Amino acid sequence: MIYFHQVNKYYGDFHVLKDINLTINQGEVVVIIGPSGSGKSTLVRCINRLETISSGELIVDGVKVNDKHININELRRNIGMVFQHFNLYPHMTVLQNITLAPRKVLGMSEKEANEIAMYYLEKVGIPDKANAYPSALSGGQQQRVAIARGLAMKPKIMLFDEPTSALDPETIGEVLDVMKQLAKEGMTMVVVTHEMGFAREVADRIVFMDQGRILEEAPPEEFFAAPKEERARVFLSRILNH
Amino acid sequence: MLRYSILVEHWDLYMQGFGHTIKASVLALIGSLALGTIIAIFRIAPIRPLNWVGTAYVEFIRNIPLVLIVFVFFMGLPAVGIRFDSFTAGTLGLMVYTAAFIAEAIRSGIQAVPKGQMEAARSSGLTYLQAMRYVILPQAVKIVIPPLGNQFINLVKNSSVLGVIAGLDLMYYGDLISSKTFVTFDVYIFVALFYLVLTIPLSLGVGYLERRLLKAR
Repeated sequence: MIYFHQVNKYYGDFHVLKDINLTINQGEVVVIIGPSGSGKSTLVRCINRLETISSGELIVDGVKVNDKHININELRRNIGMVFQHFNLYPHMTVLQNITLAPRKVLGMSEKEANEIAMYYLEKVGIPDKANAYPSALSGGQQQRVAIARGLAMKPKIMLFDEPTSALDPETIGEVLDVMKQLAKEGMTMVVVTHEMGFAREVADRIVFMDQGRILEEAPPEEFFAAPKEERARVFLSRILNH
Repeated sequence: MLRYSILVEHWDLYMQGFGHTIKASVLALIGSLALGTIIAIFRIAPIRPLNWVGTAYVEFIRNIPLVLIVFVFFMGLPAVGIRFDSFTAGTLGLMVYTAAFIAEAIRSGIQAVPKGQMEAARSSGLTYLQAMRYVILPQAVKIVIPPLGNQFINLVKNSSVLGVIAGLDLMYYGDLISSKTFVTFDVYIFVALFYLVLTIPLSLGVGYLERRLLKAR
């Protein structure tokens, strides 16, 4: 489903991604962890070409992402994305936020799009907020709307870029619950997070990154019990024992 | 004491000038809003050559005194065979000049919308133009209203440049009445009052719009 082969990326002189090789299969939940500045977010943002790669090969859903001749909008409609800061449209209601892309990209009627939006709002547990503006919602509610917005396009892949990092500790759980549910239903998910409990419980595979490299890739039981890399051990001991 | 007889006796001349000032302002406002929007889009569109054209326009035009730009239309272009009457030349100069400032106001408004908005819109499959139209511009409008209002007020006042090339506006008629009556102070006080009749409602209107847009959030 997602295939990185020898991918490198530079910001000017800064080498952000170094020789990335990674394969993610359909229905898999891959959680990427690592210290800040290790390139986790950049890696995820390459998948839908919010960032371009400098060299190597990146194939998503059978499409060469960095080929100039592909229709990037067509690829993106099949990839949902959830951001750290939600990025809801503040001038639109929750319902309008969710229905914008289904209507303008997929050409759905307003009625059809509204029905789908309501279905996903039920799913994330806040159908009563359909007509509210994002500013009237808590962080956790906003992020659940953002997830519903992604799902309404019926994507094949969902990308999560630190979805709980900007949330109050109290509302993190409600967002993680929605994500767990989604994982159970077989969605292909790539998640950048610092929530180790979530990683341990939900991930099929943990990818540990540091300084632009993937240092270790393992099932969570294995990774959390005995990380092979020294750097991963240090990272885990710091993050788990505070 | 102000000599009101000046105003009463020359009411027709004042009205002529007032009418032309309004006409020049409205025409230049519409023109500069359209031209300024196009230049702003040139400056931010993801197409390099357009960026250069937009930047060149803004940097060139806004760094020349308005009166010189008006001279170009009034005396420069006739030299190459394009002739305007003084009112048209003045209004065109005003429009071209103001467009540079409006372009900057609109550009900074668009760029003040957080980057994540464009990213969210594009990652859902919307095209660049769709994202602009449905997500970015509606938010930019709210940011742009106050600086745009300032530009409109400046435009009304700057229309007095028409007086320099006998453009039939308030300033021109002020000069005319003054040279006929040998009165200066009183004549120009009335000119100033006529400008205030235009700019104060404009200023209040912008303030009202600003408050309403803030509430709409």
